Amino acid sequence: MSRCAYVSVCAVVLGCFPVGASRAGDPAKPMGEVEGLIAAADPGGTVVVPPGVYEGNLRITQPVILDGQGHAVLDGVGVGTVVEIRAPGVTVRGFTVRGTGENITVEPAAIRAIAGPVVIEDNTIEDALFGIDLRESPGSMVRNNLVHGKDLDPGRRGDGIRLWWSHGCVIEDNTVYGSRDLVFWYSENLRISRNRVSDSRYGLHFMYSHDTVLSGNDLARNSVGVYLMYSNRITLDGNTMRNNRGASGYGIGLKDCDDIVVANNALLANRVGVYLDNSPSSVGSTGLFESNTVVFNEIGLLATPITHDNVFTANILVENEEPAAAHGRGELTHNTFARDGVGNFWSDYAGFDRDGDGIGDLAYEPRSLFGAMLAREPNLRLFVHSPAQQAVEFTARALPELRPQATLVDPAPLVRPPNLKGSGAATTPLRTRAMAFGGLGLLLFAGATVGVFGRQAALGPAPRGDDR
Amino acid sequence: MTTINALAGERALPQARSFSGGTLAFARREFRDAVASRWFLLYTLAFTVLAVAVSFMSLSSVGTHGFAGFGRTTAGLLNLVMLIVPLMALTAGAGCIAGERERGTLLYLLAQPVSRTQVLLGKYVGLAAALVCSLCVGFGVSACVLAWRTGSVGFGAYAMLVCFTALLAMAMLSIGVLISVLSRRSSVATGVALFVWLTLVFLSDLGLMAGTLIFQLRVQEVFGLAILNPLQAFKMGVIVNMNASLDVLGPVGAYASQAFGDGLAFMLAATMLVWALVPLLAAVVLFARRGSA
Repeated sequence: MSRCAYVSVCAVVLGCFPVGASRAGDPAKPMGEVEGLIAAADPGGTVVVPPGVYEGNLRITQPVILDGQGHAVLDGVGVGTVVEIRAPGVTVRGFTVRGTGENITVEPAAIRAIAGPVVIEDNTIEDALFGIDLRESPGSMVRNNLVHGKDLDPGRRGDGIRLWWSHGCVIEDNTVYGSRDLVFWYSENLRISRNRVSDSRYGLHFMYSHDTVLSGNDLARNSVGVYLMYSNRITLDGNTMRNNRGASGYGIGLKDCDDIVVANNALLANRVGVYLDNSPSSVGSTGLFESNTVVFNEIGLLATPITHDNVFTANILVENEEPAAAHGRGELTHNTFARDGVGNFWSDYAGFDRDGDGIGDLAYEPRSLFGAMLAREPNLRLFVHSPAQQAVEFTARALPELRPQATLVDPAPLVRPPNLKGSGAATTPLRTRAMAFGGLGLLLFAGATVGVFGRQAALGPAPRGDDR
Repeated sequence: MTTINALAGERALPQARSFSGGTLAFARREFRDAVASRWFLLYTLAFTVLAVAVSFMSLSSVGTHGFAGFGRTTAGLLNLVMLIVPLMALTAGAGCIAGERERGTLLYLLAQPVSRTQVLLGKYVGLAAALVCSLCVGFGVSACVLAWRTGSVGFGAYAMLVCFTALLAMAMLSIGVLISVLSRRSSVATGVALFVWLTLVFLSDLGLMAGTLIFQLRVQEVFGLAILNPLQAFKMGVIVNMNASLDVLGPVGAYASQAFGDGLAFMLAATMLVWALVPLLAAVVLFARRGSA
């Protein structure tokens, strides 16, 4: 986080300061000056662009390392694409790029490449309909850029970063906010690491893009954190998806994806932690969910009823309003919730572990009556967090004929959270202490009630002299 | 609660006070008696311990991320508050007039040179102050625990929770006072208060759930019916203040957020204010009309 803050502060300081200076002093220069510098350079040589604001549209047609050193601003003044890279071997580094057009039918971008490989790094992009757009630019690198879209309605925005038919690219350490998607179309073998996407539509969005590793990305306050569609053999490792609560509101959404591995991710306070829509879809493929932390979501795991052949092991599901649910009515029992005798930790598991091996002796079979009612009538969600909800669940426990079918069966639930990153150990004693506190409180409360009514019964209607 | 000797003796009410002066003197007396009484101390202690326990529980589930969803602590406290605070306030209110009447002390109170309205308002204000103090103790200790364990509390949201809870306590207290004015015996008043508590906390919500399922009510209808219950208004108000949106409450909440926008919090607070003022007003009118017998 501190690094993120540092990078953003640097970017902002580097980006804004010279802008202010040049606004006050020098007038803007035409983009032709930059084109002249490039034309004068040797192919592949380095061109340092002096500080200042350059207005117009830039076309780069020969290999060059173009370096703004954090002090040069390329301003499209609201017309078309600002920088278009038409040759491989181009590096664009250290610029502030801003002011694209707004006509979405021509998809104006701050920086567009139509040849690869290219390197786009350390730039600040603002007021751009599309941020960085790679079209058929394989082997490119997009690193350490800050992208802020135009302040438009979400429906009229463009993508912060988009790849189209660009295999083998590296997208890392970028910060994108207020945009539409980071979207990857038909692009394979990517490495997508440590990007931060917030306040956008889909944090990371895959369409028909296979064989990719996503790691260490932080996706916050988007409509959906990661949405993979028709994309196979993708690994999500160590990402954080938090507060993604838009109309869909999934931390991770998988639609028709085969052989996905989701491991070591944190899914926090999304509307739905993991959403599975017919994934995996092919015969013989599986989905693996291992060692993820799924906390404070309204629904931890939501799946369409036909979903099957997913394996869940060693995940931590804590304090989700509903741990797992089928979309509409149905069950998740065609998936496996334990591998090699290791299930998952469910914070609402009420069984016991007599032999002390860390595995609960009773299977975890959630049968929430309120959850079943919610599946039938979503409007009832109004009543969550209320004593009435507890009353419904209590009734279902007391009257077994009212209990619904179990939505899933975890045959080997963990009685304490697996020790992810050396943290779980501290949890249990604290919980015990909290239990003790709760018990004491209830005792006192009962005492208070008895005190009130007991005295009344004893004293009767006669006036009381002493009240102490 | 009030002892006659104390009233007549050590600090008798000064004669010919202004309206507010007489009311306040009664309020002070009521407050002192309430704070000194055993039930009150026990309720306070119970509420405090439960609040601290809920805070601990929520913290223990946070684990490594030190991250509390939509204020998980507040969500836990919500349930606690919705159970205990109405019970506290309703029973306290129910005892205040009926008890005095049953013991015959009400006549002595009314013999003081103050109007009936002053007596009733004084008692209400005193009890309300005592309740707010009790809540503050509980919330205060629990806030300290939160601060100590996590380093920071969502301060604004927490303060709003306290304010809304105080409003809830006052609404429940005025219903309790109304019950008390209407009842001849304190046991009847307490019984009715318990029934009202049961209705507000459980029965009305359960009924509305059943209605929603059976009649397939639309979101507007569900929302309109739900906010009639001051407890639901309380819950939604707290969540709105914490989350800026009611989307955690599903389609109905999303509808409310869209339809009323920024006015939603005010609307919910106003609903609770109506619940605080109307029963109290009714109690004042009825008490002024009816005798003390």
